[in-house]
Amino acid sequence: MQTEKPNSLTSQILQSISNASLIPFLAILTAVILGGIIIKIVGGDPFLAYKGLIQGSLGSAKALSETAIWATPYIFAGLAVALAFKGGLFNIGAEGQLAVGAVFSALIGYGLPEWLGYDLPAIIHLPLAIGVGMLMGGIWAGIVGALKAYTGGHEVINTIMMNYIALNTTSFLLNGVMKDPSPNNVIARTPLIAESARISPLFEGLRVHWGFVLALLVAFLIWWLLNKTTLGFEIRTVGLNPDAAQYAGINVKRTIIVTMLLSGMLAGLAGSIEVTGLNYRHELGFSIGYGYDAIAIALLGKSHPLGIVLSSFLFAAMRNGATRMQFLTQLPVDLISMLQALILLFVAADAIVRYIYRIKSKGERVVLTRGWGG
Amino acid sequence: MKKFYFVMALLIVASMILTACGTPAATEAPAATDAPAVTEAPAATEAPAATEAPAEVTQEDCVTEEVFCVGVVTDVGKVNDKSFNQSAWEGALKSQEDGVADLVQFIETADAKDYAKNIGTFGDAGFDVIVTVGFALGEATVAAAATYPDISFIGVDQFQAWEFDEDAANDVANVTGLGFPEDQAGFLVGALAAAMSESHKIGAVCGTDVVPPVWRFGEGYKAGAAYADGLNGTTTEVFVVYHSDVGFDKTFTDPEWGAQTATSMMDQGADAIFGCGGLTGNGAITAAAQAGKYAIGVDADQYLTLPEAAPRMLSSAMKLITPGVADLVAAAKDGSIKPGNFTGLAGYAPYHDLESEVPAEVNAMMEELNAALLDGSVTTNVPPVKP
Repeated sequence: MQTEKPNSLTSQILQSISNASLIPFLAILTAVILGGIIIKIVGGDPFLAYKGLIQGSLGSAKALSETAIWATPYIFAGLAVALAFKGGLFNIGAEGQLAVGAVFSALIGYGLPEWLGYDLPAIIHLPLAIGVGMLMGGIWAGIVGALKAYTGGHEVINTIMMNYIALNTTSFLLNGVMKDPSPNNVIARTPLIAESARISPLFEGLRVHWGFVLALLVAFLIWWLLNKTTLGFEIRTVGLNPDAAQYAGINVKRTIIVTMLLSGMLAGLAGSIEVTGLNYRHELGFSIGYGYDAIAIALLGKSHPLGIVLSSFLFAAMRNGATRMQFLTQLPVDLISMLQALILLFVAADAIVRYIYRIKSKGERVVLTRGWGG
Repeated sequence: MKKFYFVMALLIVASMILTACGTPAATEAPAATDAPAVTEAPAATEAPAATEAPAEVTQEDCVTEEVFCVGVVTDVGKVNDKSFNQSAWEGALKSQEDGVADLVQFIETADAKDYAKNIGTFGDAGFDVIVTVGFALGEATVAAAATYPDISFIGVDQFQAWEFDEDAANDVANVTGLGFPEDQAGFLVGALAAAMSESHKIGAVCGTDVVPPVWRFGEGYKAGAAYADGLNGTTTEVFVVYHSDVGFDKTFTDPEWGAQTATSMMDQGADAIFGCGGLTGNGAITAAAQAGKYAIGVDADQYLTLPEAAPRMLSSAMKLITPGVADLVAAAKDGSIKPGNFTGLAGYAPYHDLESEVPAEVNAMMEELNAALLDGSVTTNVPPVKP
């Protein structure tokens, strides 16, 4: 490194890759070793467990398809949290917004043909089902944004409270007026949505659907929005320093509301796509905890859309691989969550890894402590 | 900022790539060969050589005809939930102890969207019987039955409505729903409550009578009390209240109402309360236990699941899932299993802490009654649905 010309672009890139990859590599290695020890302690075979995890998430077309299915809502919800981060807002409410989106998409999906009395063409019905779910998710978060902008009510508290309202209202609706009326049904779930409101699968025989492609497109769109548009600039500026933004003539209140609205729409979209693309109904057991995982995903992905796509895949692979891991080892499924937390802990808190491996931070320090999403 | 993001993106990409290559370094080697037969060979050969006496059967053997494998997929509960999932899993274990199944395994479902995948994991591995636990898995089970026509599916608490419709296109050849005679379970605890009551007033607090199993529990309870009266020459007043007029969102999830209703029954002199209907029933059970009366649970042995009521838990009206699953697995093995609905057995839970309070003659009556219901010499006369 000292001998070469330091300004050569390739060497620069190579150096930054090796610098950037060393810590995460060691972090994951540490987590895997530690996880292996824990698996061993509880009486499992760590190698078999990891083999199951990899086979189950990447080992076949079916496994990859299921991983993509898990990644889809993670990407949407991760983007939702990240967008709010960029605007300096902590959206803890993705879980509730997701539920609102799912409920309304399901309602349009099964209810609209009933009310109208005739079947709608898919080209109208499907976008309507997704759009309404997305919009309602946005409104749900937008309320919090408006409270923040006009009353100063803190969005962390308000999104958490709105979660309670959303989740309990969902439970009320799914047990009540929206409950599947088919005889003998005892589950809190809606009826199946109409065929015309369903997203078709990408491949015959696999469950992965076009919603996954949409998730990748939306990730690109959010990158474009944040980095190439005036609105994105305003969101980022308000996020970095609202006072400076105000001084620069940006309407801070409006930007806060718009940020929350967009964030909620993304979270609502996560719920809508789950209903229209995969489950074809909303049920209380579906999509538990995506909104909370999304916070970790946004953090791990450093609020960058590409980072979120990749960290969504990491989470999705672990969640999906859990089945095969359990099948091979009969370990409790909770262990996966623990392993996930370990990896996240070491990746996010790189100071621990640096300490363990005695690596001095040099040059450009990885800034993680500036706040969520940096 | 740009540079920062660039570095971040690289970091993440690199971490992902390295996860893929780095993690497996030790473990991928066998996986990469992609031939389970080869990779598992060491494990398979080691096992007999090692101290394990019984012939070790691995999952790879499930594809063969000779090895009989049973997989259990739970709903979003766990195999140690002291309720449905655990009972079903114990049923599978029992079939292994009985020498019916060579290998039994479970997969716990963490998210409802994984039902199909989890069932498919057993299906692809060539398991012979797949037990899915709970009504929620009903649709996924019927769908999987079409994908895996050679596998027998047992759906615990999954009513197979197609058996009764006219349309033959809906028929499924390889799914058996395991249901239970709730009226018999209610009958048993009704008789017990009537025999144990000193005030000769007993109560039942139930969910909605619109749901047939709940109604059968309640009606069975009445019939059982009347039967015990006939034996003992007593006249027992039975209060059965359904939480019917509130809608589905409330009927099973209203412990306050359950507790209030139980309390008002106890105010009228009732000294044994049967709670049947989810959390509503649990509220009634807990209120009865706190008042020092006899509490009677439902579905599983609630002595184990409702610790706050355990000291006063007289018994529970039980669906015997464990023997039901084991019997159906055995039937699947010898080919006598029939698609459609299979009615398992009902029973009553042990008295646990109150064993000393139950007189020998009451216990004898219960044992007789249980046997009589089993052999059909006593019937509850409760119709399947509310007329």
